[in-house]
Amino acid sequence: MAAFRSFWNSPMGPKTTHFWGPVANWGFVISGLADTQKPPELISGNMTSVMCIYSVLCMRFAWMIRPRNYLLLVCHASNESVQLFQLSRWAKAHGNFFTADLVGNEREGTKL
Amino acid sequence: MAASKIQALWNHPAGPKTIHFWAPTFKWGISIANIADFSKPPEKISYPQQAAVTCTGVIWSRYSTVITPKNWNLFSVNVAMAGTGLYQLSRKIRQDYFSGEEKEPLKE
Repeated sequence: MAAFRSFWNSPMGPKTTHFWGPVANWGFVISGLADTQKPPELISGNMTSVMCIYSVLCMRFAWMIRPRNYLLLVCHASNESVQLFQLSRWAKAHGNFFTADLVGNEREGTKL
Repeated sequence: MAASKIQALWNHPAGPKTIHFWAPTFKWGISIANIADFSKPPEKISYPQQAAVTCTGVIWSRYSTVITPKNWNLFSVNVAMAGTGLYQLSRKIRQDYFSGEEKEPLKE
């Protein structure tokens, strides 16, 4: 009970933005996990690659701000993993993208 | 004169040599990716992802005005996220629930 009370009243607790901001960002992780069950044709390459870069930056941000925000750090570490996985699924589904030559014709059998 | 002002900005503790600058700045990429995806067919939009983008945008917009100091850069980027997320959601909802009636029977 005392532990809960100290969490509830903490300067990084549920009465503060330091808590709810990172909680909101867990939505990306959960939506990413839900989307792993969908076919890769539905993945947005734009959004997924942006997320991959964005989560790396936010991991660094969470580490460098004072006070350090471990919740944000873990959130973005998880998001990075999910988004990289989704990006790999997207890249596999678009394998021929990398083997098309300048004229726009696709070569056979040279998937990454 | 101008050179020293630029130098002051360049060396600012939340300036372009720091993550405090680049993390919020790169957040614009999420809205830009969404805008690029406006031209994609609504079947490809993900409900969970766009809901996450919208909710994050709304929550962070609110909080960027209650922190000290108020961060208008963070506020504007999150307003944009919420806006693009809402638009993508509306495109998909419109297609799933409002334009399918002429072609197929209503899904229960």
